[in-house]
Amino acid sequence: MSLLELQDVTASYGQGSVLHGISLSLAEHGATGILGANGAGKTTTLRAISGTVRTTGRILFDGRDISGLGPDRTARLGIAHVPEGRGTLPQLSVRENLLVGAYQRRDRKQIATDVDYCLDLFPQLQQRIASHAAALSGGEQQMLAVARAFMAKPRLMLLDEASLGLAPSTARHVYEAVRRLRRETGLSMLVVEQNAVLAFSVVEHVTVLETGRVTVEGRTDELMGMDSVRRAYLGG
Amino acid sequence: MAGALVRLRAARWSRPALALVVAVLLVLLPLVSSPYVNYQVTTMAVFAVALLGLNVVMGYAGQVSLGQSAFIGIGAYVAGYGTTHGWPLLLTFLLCCLLPGVVGMLVALAAARLRGLALAMVTIALPIVGTPVAKRLSDVTGGSQGLTVSWLDPPSWVALADDQWRYYVVVAIAAVVFLLTRNLVRGRVGRSFAIVRDNEAVALSMGISPYRTKVLAFTLASTIGGASGFLYLAVVQYTSPETLSFGTSINLVVAMVIGGSGSIAGAVLGAVYYVLVPVLAGQLDASRTALLSGAFLLLVLFVLPGGLVSLPRRVQQLLTRRRRRSATPSDDPGDRTGTPVLTSDGRTP
Amino acid sequence: MKSVQHPRRLSGAVALIGVTALLVSGCTREEASTPSSSGTAEASPGITDTTVSLGISSPLSGATAGPGSCTVAGLDSFLEAKNAEGGFTFGDGKTRKVTLEYLDDAYDPAKAVANFRQLVNKGIFAYVGALGTPTNAAVMPIANQQEVPQVLLTAGAGEFSDDQQANPWTSGFVPTYTTEGAAFGKLLVDANQPITVATLVQNDDYGTGYLDGFQSAIEGSQVKVLDSATYEPTDTSVDGQVTQLAASKADVLLSAVSVTPLQVGVLTKAQSLGWKPRIFLPSNTSTPATVLQPGGAAAYPDVYTPSFAKTPASPAFANDPDVQAYNTAFEQYGSKITKTYTPHCAWSYAEGAVLGEAFSTMEEPTREAFMTSLRSISGFQAPLLLDGITIDTTKEDQAAVFTVNLVRYNGTGYEPVQGY
Repeated sequence: MSLLELQDVTASYGQGSVLHGISLSLAEHGATGILGANGAGKTTTLRAISGTVRTTGRILFDGRDISGLGPDRTARLGIAHVPEGRGTLPQLSVRENLLVGAYQRRDRKQIATDVDYCLDLFPQLQQRIASHAAALSGGEQQMLAVARAFMAKPRLMLLDEASLGLAPSTARHVYEAVRRLRRETGLSMLVVEQNAVLAFSVVEHVTVLETGRVTVEGRTDELMGMDSVRRAYLGG
Repeated sequence: MAGALVRLRAARWSRPALALVVAVLLVLLPLVSSPYVNYQVTTMAVFAVALLGLNVVMGYAGQVSLGQSAFIGIGAYVAGYGTTHGWPLLLTFLLCCLLPGVVGMLVALAAARLRGLALAMVTIALPIVGTPVAKRLSDVTGGSQGLTVSWLDPPSWVALADDQWRYYVVVAIAAVVFLLTRNLVRGRVGRSFAIVRDNEAVALSMGISPYRTKVLAFTLASTIGGASGFLYLAVVQYTSPETLSFGTSINLVVAMVIGGSGSIAGAVLGAVYYVLVPVLAGQLDASRTALLSGAFLLLVLFVLPGGLVSLPRRVQQLLTRRRRRSATPSDDPGDRTGTPVLTSDGRTP
Repeated sequence: MKSVQHPRRLSGAVALIGVTALLVSGCTREEASTPSSSGTAEASPGITDTTVSLGISSPLSGATAGPGSCTVAGLDSFLEAKNAEGGFTFGDGKTRKVTLEYLDDAYDPAKAVANFRQLVNKGIFAYVGALGTPTNAAVMPIANQQEVPQVLLTAGAGEFSDDQQANPWTSGFVPTYTTEGAAFGKLLVDANQPITVATLVQNDDYGTGYLDGFQSAIEGSQVKVLDSATYEPTDTSVDGQVTQLAASKADVLLSAVSVTPLQVGVLTKAQSLGWKPRIFLPSNTSTPATVLQPGGAAAYPDVYTPSFAKTPASPAFANDPDVQAYNTAFEQYGSKITKTYTPHCAWSYAEGAVLGEAFSTMEEPTREAFMTSLRSISGFQAPLLLDGITIDTTKEDQAAVFTVNLVRYNGTGYEPVQGY
């Protein structure tokens, strides 16, 4: 059984509909990338899953219909959303931000282990452990956001445009860590990314959206072979 | 450098020692000081509790509340009604917490979806509506002439004067309220307050409902406010619609900011300010108290934007800066006020 | 780590310093008594052979600062002027100078209680003239328990004067609201003709007191109340109430509104509706400059208000020796405390004279003797009181001034009236 399944999901902000009946499915321990141009509905798809936008259709998480649940409820079910624009707590230190991520957990020992794991994953954070999140660079903030989402011990991570606004080398750095995270923990992921090269480094499946509809989907290596996809998203 | 080291080491054992000294002083104080001093210190305890409640909702949870005086007033009226009708003390106290808590929760259920100015406006409504309501319900409240009680006299087996007995009762209850609240804001609840205060989107992504968190913060604040109303009546032996008035709320907000928002010690310091500054201003020039208090307020906010509670850090900062004049300022954000609550619990997970 | 611990340590220290400051300013448990060397009875605190110390706590800041400051400034003017002449002669043959300690309570009952305790702690002999119903109500039980005189209060609520058995150490000075209401009723009844009235009062015991006094005075007469309305002190407009009352087309509007801007609103609204009754205003919202002129009161056939003291600034009293003495004394002493005149300045000046009168028959330097003397003044012509009004403290259920004269607005100031 797949961990996440979207069946004919539509979503709208106010009057304007953004998704027009999307279906996709994600296996446990799997990772799917969502590609598409600006406004294709990538971010909205993640929001539909985490419950921050109004939807119709069915969204099954672990066999349970979660459509209509608010973001706090989906978070408690194990969906960690790393939103675009990061969303760290600027007033708190790096360590405090990580602990905030573990808010719903009570296994204190394991939390400490996981903090160490995050710091091992992102050594830069180790150096800034006592700094305010506000004092971090964009790349460090993105790392912190990913690490904080991981601290919740989610079953599914929704990663939204993690490379946005970062220097290419920093973005690569972030994605290397995400790949390692996946390899070592088997965390399921849904990755929205403009930069398909980065996305392809993490995911096995890809769904391409165009104006709120799925146009192409398949395994990464299949899509790599498709000219249209190569031209549109991989720069040749 | 060596001196600093000694001080650092001293700090480790001096904290419980200082707490002990303060506790002993608080116990001995009423025995040697005049009824006036006892009254003033007891009053500080009352307002420290009120400020603590305000701190929960404003300092820790970051939600504007300009209605704290209403809960003090309700608590005081409940205490007054209970006293005049001969209710048991414990029952009265519990109702003093419960009723304002329920009122606060009901208002919060409606208001917590709002933010910023809109929320502030709703909380203003409480004292604005409460004052005329208190005047009109004169059977319960004594109307605008207020409610005078003769209450909480020392029991016959205690060889204490009124002021001493009331001091002990009030300070003991205040200490318990402080202890409970301290544990609360240092724990999970406090952490959820901080997250909601700093970033509601993050709160949601952590599975925390900002709405419920805010309702909880308001309910706690009004419950604690009600407890301080009980204490208020115990000290002043009188309450009137003036207690609920909007002006009191504003003064409480000022005192909270002066003391240091989001800080337990700040609530105590705010109460010391609330009670002491008008007295000191009155001794300088009784016909210019507002002016002198205002000047002091501005002075504190300019020199110590984090409130009185940040004074030691500020002094240390200035000393350090002087010591290494040419050195670059440290990376450690020293002007950080007492806001985050994660420090003590969070550092040793 | 140290930065986490430090604040707590030092904030404890700050709190300790605060407590120490209180201890220093408030001294210790031992009663600060200054025994007088002679006399049969042992002297009460605050009085020696040459001095007596009085205390007052009034709102000197906040919304009621104007009247509150005047309750200090007028009293201080009288006392200091008398001190400069040598002092007060007491019934025991000694001459004493009076010192006045004053504190600000900002109309806050808790602060008033604190101030009262502080003053008693400093050893005042009596607490005099304080303004404010809630503040004095909070002090009253403590004063009576500690047997400290809390006298000649500038508060219109009846509770400070109407039960001397329950509160033997408390007395009021100014006429109660009931007295004012009754004075209006009596004026109308004395006209001996059918008169219709509309009333607008504050929805609390201030308004109730006013209305009670008025209604008991008109009982069984030809005066009829056609319509009544109330308002809340927090209302921003009373236009609705005025419109409702205007429909009654009553001859007289009793507008017991205590909020200055609302009273101005009453005067403007009624005439804009074409309703021009005779208007009765309470003493606290009848100042020409702030109420009558902005409200266009000249449009009404008559505007009445109760009064018991002369207005020092009025040209009518320019040659009055009392007024001249007041003006000199206020210029020299009172103006240091406030420069804004409200009637309370004149009232508290007269109150100083009442204290002097009580001192003059006080044969022992005790609070008991003071209360006895203070409770036995009658027919005393205190300075600044209008002709026909005297101080009488012998009534068990009345304030020291329990008669008022009605005065009529003449376009600039007030002049005495003899009937409706």
